[in-house]
Amino acid sequence: MPTITFTSQNGESTTIDDAEGDLMSLAVKHGVQGIEGDCGGVCSCGTCHVQVDPAWIDKTGPATDEEREVLDFEQSATANSRLCCQIEMSPELDGLVVRVVRS
Amino acid sequence: MTDPADPFSEQRRHDGVKLVRAEGQDVPLLLRLRDIKDVCNDTQSFSNDNPLMIILHSEAAVRDVRQLPIESDPPDHTEYRALVEPRFRRPKAPEYQAGIGAIIDSLLDDCLGSAEVEVVRGFALPLQSRGLAQLLGVDESEADLWISWGIHVFRDNELGPKGSELDRYLLAKIEEARESKGDDFFSELNRAEFRGRKLTVEEKHGFANMAFAGGRDTVIHTVSGVIAYVAQHPEALEFLREDANRINTAAEEFVRYVSPLTVITRTCPHATEVLGHEVAAGGRIGLCWPSANRDETVFRSPDQVILDRKPNPHIGFGFGPHNCLGQHQARAILRGLLRAVCDRVERVDLIAAEPEIEQESSYSRQVGYKSLRVRFCGR
Repeated sequence: MPTITFTSQNGESTTIDDAEGDLMSLAVKHGVQGIEGDCGGVCSCGTCHVQVDPAWIDKTGPATDEEREVLDFEQSATANSRLCCQIEMSPELDGLVVRVVRS
Repeated sequence: MTDPADPFSEQRRHDGVKLVRAEGQDVPLLLRLRDIKDVCNDTQSFSNDNPLMIILHSEAAVRDVRQLPIESDPPDHTEYRALVEPRFRRPKAPEYQAGIGAIIDSLLDDCLGSAEVEVVRGFALPLQSRGLAQLLGVDESEADLWISWGIHVFRDNELGPKGSELDRYLLAKIEEARESKGDDFFSELNRAEFRGRKLTVEEKHGFANMAFAGGRDTVIHTVSGVIAYVAQHPEALEFLREDANRINTAAEEFVRYVSPLTVITRTCPHATEVLGHEVAAGGRIGLCWPSANRDETVFRSPDQVILDRKPNPHIGFGFGPHNCLGQHQARAILRGLLRAVCDRVERVDLIAAEPEIEQESSYSRQVGYKSLRVRFCGR
């Protein structure tokens, strides 16, 4: 079953096994620091901003236009930035690593 | 036909600005989502540090205290906000949400046992007030007094101006809790420290004033909007019941669609220009949230309520450093309301609705209801 790892600004990491559903809900459920998911996953609040590890960006794909609406106004957004409420776990993403932007 | 809740559509498409007369100035209101977000992130050019002037018209007649944290800019704002942010994030906890659910259930018990309910004063107002008592950690009985103050703590269409009563109440509560170690908001304000010193009475008063004024009519209008929508769209409840995720998406959609706060202003410390309109130093511009939330370049079918709209990049809770402190409370109330209505209500019959209309020099806009009479029918 797929695993996902969230790394934080201070180098800590949280690995979740048997990951199912969207990354924001997974992070909130497992208490990942810096992921709030205030709006419940509708791409409004920007509180689930992550940077996808460069090795994985081809598999997750870049931010959608709707995510860009939010990310364009976030400090420290990069080409690899995504709102993790918009990424669904799948077998292809087994081993995915994302970096949490907020501390 | 112009939607009564969005009188901005023509100018939003045309040049993105609408002028409105306020306090002797033609205030340019920004109408497009991206323009508003840009302004929100630039607090040096577009400042909140102008007490009593945060809404379109001066509030000098109804209060004399600077509301905190909203009427300040970073870096002060960041530190002020951090003092109260943990309390205002409590609504994210499941046990807190269970408390809000209990308040809603008790109100619905009364509604389901009545032949007719006036939603604004008979349901939304007590829900907002009892929810606030829970947020502030004070006895639920305090809410009875707040309910008697009406829809808006500063002015109520039926009860008239009454800001000073709120001020007397807040100052008394702060004084009463001076030595208290309690877990309530007033005791917390007395214990709080800002840059190594205690808050002044004026600062505590400013925080308390904001907590009472900020999320009142806005929450009441959105709750009323939800009930009105359900009454007019009986199929909505079944649609929501089909997928639990729709509670979240619907709550966000009602915030977008109702957008209960029409304008927040910013003051320009230096002369500037916004979309071709010159603003003198000390002049103001307005951020028009309902217009941003109907921006047709961002939202598909913006005039429709789409209960499972996702993505939904609305800014109904504002944007940037000054975004709504009470947003978690508002979400807990709206999600709890939708869940409870889905569980317990078969349908809502509309008896009569009288819209609340905001009248300004260049537009009028429906914001919720003056009165909304319905019958709740149980499942």
